Amino acid sequence: MIFAQSENILAQPPSRGGQDDDVPSWLAGLQNESAPEKDELMDWARDVSEPQQPLKEEPPVFTPSQEDTPDWLKQMSAEAESKSQQVSSQPASDSQFDADTPDWLKQMSANAEPVEAKTPQDAPELNIDTPDWLSTLGGADDNTSSVEPAVFTESNVPEREAESLPPMDMPDWLKSSSEVEEEKPSQDTTTPLWLKPQVQSQEPELPAWLSSAEETVYPDQTKEEPAAQDDLLGDVPDWLKAAAPEKTIFDSQDELKSEVDASGGTDWFSAIQPSGETEVESNIEPEKVDPFASMPAFTPESQTDESLEGLFTEMPDWLSSASEQPSTSTPTPITNEDVLPSSNLPSWVEAMRPSDSGFSQLTSSASDQTLESRGALAGLHGVLPAVPGFTPTSKPKAYSLKLNASAEQLRHAGILEDILSAETSPVPIESFSTLLSSRALRWTLSFLMLAVVFSTVFLRTQIFSMPIGRPSEVSSVIQIAQSIPENAQLLVAFDYEPARAGEMEAAATPLFDNLLLLKHPRLTFISTNETGSVLAERFISGPLAVHNYQSGVTYSNLGYLPGGQLAIRAFAQNPSVISPFDILGQAAWTSPTLQGVTSLNQFTAMILITDNADAARVWVEQTQGLRGDIPFIVISSAQAAPMIQPYYDSGQVTGIVPGLYGGAIFEQHNAGRPGTARNYWDAYSIGMLIAMALLLSGGLWNLILGLREKREEK
Amino acid sequence: MQISLDLITGVLSFLFTLLILSYLIGDNPLFRIAIYLFVGITAGYVASVIWWQVLTPRLFSPTIPALFAGSMIERVIIIVPWLGAVFILMKISPRLSKIASITMAFLVGAGAAVIIAGALIGTIIPQVSATINFFDLNVAIARNINVAEVIGNGTIVLVGVVTTLSYFHFGARPQANGNPRRFVLIELFAFIGKIFIGITLGVIFAGVYAAALTAFIERISSLINFFGNF
Amino acid sequence: MRVLTAVIAIAVGLMVLLGYFFAEFVGIQTLLLNWAVILAGVASLVGIFNLIAVHTDKVRRAEKGGVYSALLVIALVATFVFGLILQPQHQIMQVLLNGIILPVEATLMGLLTITLLYAAIRLLRRRADVMSVFFIITAVLIFLGSATLPTGDVPVIGTLIRPWVSQIWALGGARGILIGVALGTLVTGLRVLFGIDRPYGGK
Repeated sequence: MIFAQSENILAQPPSRGGQDDDVPSWLAGLQNESAPEKDELMDWARDVSEPQQPLKEEPPVFTPSQEDTPDWLKQMSAEAESKSQQVSSQPASDSQFDADTPDWLKQMSANAEPVEAKTPQDAPELNIDTPDWLSTLGGADDNTSSVEPAVFTESNVPEREAESLPPMDMPDWLKSSSEVEEEKPSQDTTTPLWLKPQVQSQEPELPAWLSSAEETVYPDQTKEEPAAQDDLLGDVPDWLKAAAPEKTIFDSQDELKSEVDASGGTDWFSAIQPSGETEVESNIEPEKVDPFASMPAFTPESQTDESLEGLFTEMPDWLSSASEQPSTSTPTPITNEDVLPSSNLPSWVEAMRPSDSGFSQLTSSASDQTLESRGALAGLHGVLPAVPGFTPTSKPKAYSLKLNASAEQLRHAGILEDILSAETSPVPIESFSTLLSSRALRWTLSFLMLAVVFSTVFLRTQIFSMPIGRPSEVSSVIQIAQSIPENAQLLVAFDYEPARAGEMEAAATPLFDNLLLLKHPRLTFISTNETGSVLAERFISGPLAVHNYQSGVTYSNLGYLPGGQLAIRAFAQNPSVISPFDILGQAAWTSPTLQGVTSLNQFTAMILITDNADAARVWVEQTQGLRGDIPFIVISSAQAAPMIQPYYDSGQVTGIVPGLYGGAIFEQHNAGRPGTARNYWDAYSIGMLIAMALLLSGGLWNLILGLREKREEK
Repeated sequence: MQISLDLITGVLSFLFTLLILSYLIGDNPLFRIAIYLFVGITAGYVASVIWWQVLTPRLFSPTIPALFAGSMIERVIIIVPWLGAVFILMKISPRLSKIASITMAFLVGAGAAVIIAGALIGTIIPQVSATINFFDLNVAIARNINVAEVIGNGTIVLVGVVTTLSYFHFGARPQANGNPRRFVLIELFAFIGKIFIGITLGVIFAGVYAAALTAFIERISSLINFFGNF
Repeated sequence: MRVLTAVIAIAVGLMVLLGYFFAEFVGIQTLLLNWAVILAGVASLVGIFNLIAVHTDKVRRAEKGGVYSALLVIALVATFVFGLILQPQHQIMQVLLNGIILPVEATLMGLLTITLLYAAIRLLRRRADVMSVFFIITAVLIFLGSATLPTGDVPVIGTLIRPWVSQIWALGGARGILIGVALGTLVTGLRVLFGIDRPYGGK
């Protein structure tokens, strides 16, 4: 954010006539615009302007008091201070400068001095906008500025003037640059390639995906030539260090020092100079405008397969293909032979080389006299351009993607946008009236059902007739019950949840009551439901308590069999092996209840009490072929009966007692003994009739409403 | 003692029924307390059932006799489930949970065989046979059923079975415009199948409602009985 | 491990399957299934332990609803301990079943009455297609046919239409669904036996 603001500051128009000469022009813009919002910047700016008095001692850029300076600025100033201590503490002492300066730098300064000697005539305007402290900077500053002009200073120094510099005083690659500019004057620029992405990277409003792409790229760049970069920075002048990728600028002071100290005398950079003298001129070719060229991530050198792969690993395919397209369409930047092949150069140095691709980004009308007063670029003009169209740095990226996307890619982007918009678009909430009506309906239903059931059960009404008609499946059960011999051995499987205990007991009690009363069968209980065995105990000691059945004598509870189908199959195959004991731990198969029974088909009949159609299906399937011809009765919940019906129809199940309805029918054939079904029947009948009425009327009403809504939608 | 236990049961039953019925007003802390207690007690209950009715008689009790007095086969027979149990207990530890897959493989393999045989022998063959036998006139005559009625009902059932199965057939071929579309005959059958499925689900729905209504009546009845008894 | 588990699953499956068709394999089938019963019991216990672990973790992290989780864990452990000491069929344990488990489940089931009715009433507003219309018509007929009047069954509907619909029309659909389920089950089982699906963690 701070960087963005400072960037805006730098982008302010150059000095105005009325301003004090001591105040840099960019500061005026700063005061005008940023003051109300950013006090930090104000202080910062004040601090910057204050040191104009001791200019002769120290470069003013590095004088801000440490207390008032933001951290980032401290870091930068500390960094620069170390440089200034090296360079500016003996302002114009050539002798010391010579002593401390590496050879290559001497060479550069030697080249630069004549330039400075000749610049006065070129830069009268420069001096107007230049603070005094800058003019007092001798030696070392001259050194930096002498190297830079052609590359960094564009400002309001007329091109003509720049061109008028004697060619012999400029590095060759610089010369070639000016030649290129001569050829293509319209493709003028104020910003080196590497700087643009840096400025862009400071843009806080970058889309996340874009910033992530940059994050992906930088490590790749450093990975490409990590050692080279570190070493290079050691011998590279300070201003050039600042030109290094972003990472280096923000490195801590210690790191920088250590880098400087550790750096050996790499000659690669000096080697560039002489070699470049002969070749670079011809190497520079005009480049077409490439939206990605200004970004380090998309510089030709960085667009190796590896780096691209690293770049797009976290991007969707359509996006990666979108970015591939411009790279392929981009003309190769430098096709001619280099003395030093571009692949040997660090990417940022390569990007720094004069190239039309960078210049072409900006119009020739760009003229910025903005003076850098801090950081490594201190004292330089127009390094960070203030071209009006350049400031919204995040735009070009989005713009370039749009421009280079094919129709298919745009379609994909559209789909993604749709998805995102669908995710983020607010879900329409049901209108209040709908909510109100639905809640009212729910409350009405609750009240109605509670009232009806409570009143009928409380009053113990017996107004409604018990069902008279006998479905065939219930008739079959009645016949079987009548045909079961005295003292028969029955296997009873309890497979229902406690939730259905009321219904299942009401359905099963009449049958068992009838059997226990008339036939005195010996019962064996088994369960594949965890609570089944306990519910069996509840059943025998509750509704059937009058028969006084005793565990181990007249009935055996074999307990719970886990494993579902596996257990049922195992039990059906060999019951005495699978369930040898009852729940009391007694040997079940030697008890009077199970005497003489060793397999499933030796039971007189099998009765399954279940609330689950799947349980019934499993019992039917797994006992198929093992139960022989014994009757298989299913006492089921009303909800499971429809799915058991096919097994009755196929003859695999002999009879069904479906829920309370079946129990009510059976109760009428139970020697006139009253049962639970009768007590529940009135409430049950009224509940069914209410449901029918509500479903019919409400269903019709909602059908009409639904049709009307559809028609309105159409 | 017996009376007091009945009283406790009645009070608890009454209390918990009311707590759950309070959901009619809306979700509330009392309802949640009842639900969490219910889940905890049920799980604890099931655990004790498994302990006493599964592990004790089938695993714990036979181990000592088999190991010390049993033959080699008996020892193997009892050691294998112990091993399986230990493996499956490894599932508790994320690091060792892979070992549990041995036991799971055993259970899945056995289960797969059981469901294959069960589906084939217990459902597919008998149900297909029953659909065909619906047209068996000898059976109809033996049961003194009108032949026309048998053929009519048999046809309905046959059409119902075929069209319902067709409804679940999702194979389709791409059209000229690229959109998949089922075969025309399948489409027609599937449409009729929708009717049959609608009817079947309607019957099942009525059954579910009847079961729920019975449970509702039973609960209200227990509340009234609680006041009547005490 | 993958191969081992696949081999175990296939071998066990084949032996159990052979037990259905050949008497020679009935013994081994019974043995394997008996082991499976025991292991299924252990697996259930592991599941319950997992429930404890999840809710204990919630309590430890003091998550929202941690109090309820604490209640759950306490109730679970207490019930289990009581069950271990007293055995499940003990009268005190029966109090838990009849006083808490059964009433809660049954009341929840009872509340379903209102929910089902409400949902069915509003169904046709949301979805008015052939299936829904037949669904509602059938439900209405069964409701009416299942109830009685003070004089007896509802004429025609209770005596003729209801049995006809539930025993013939619904039978066709139910049988179709059953056969479809069985076919699906068959294929699923075969895929496991052929090692194509490995739900035990092999793939």
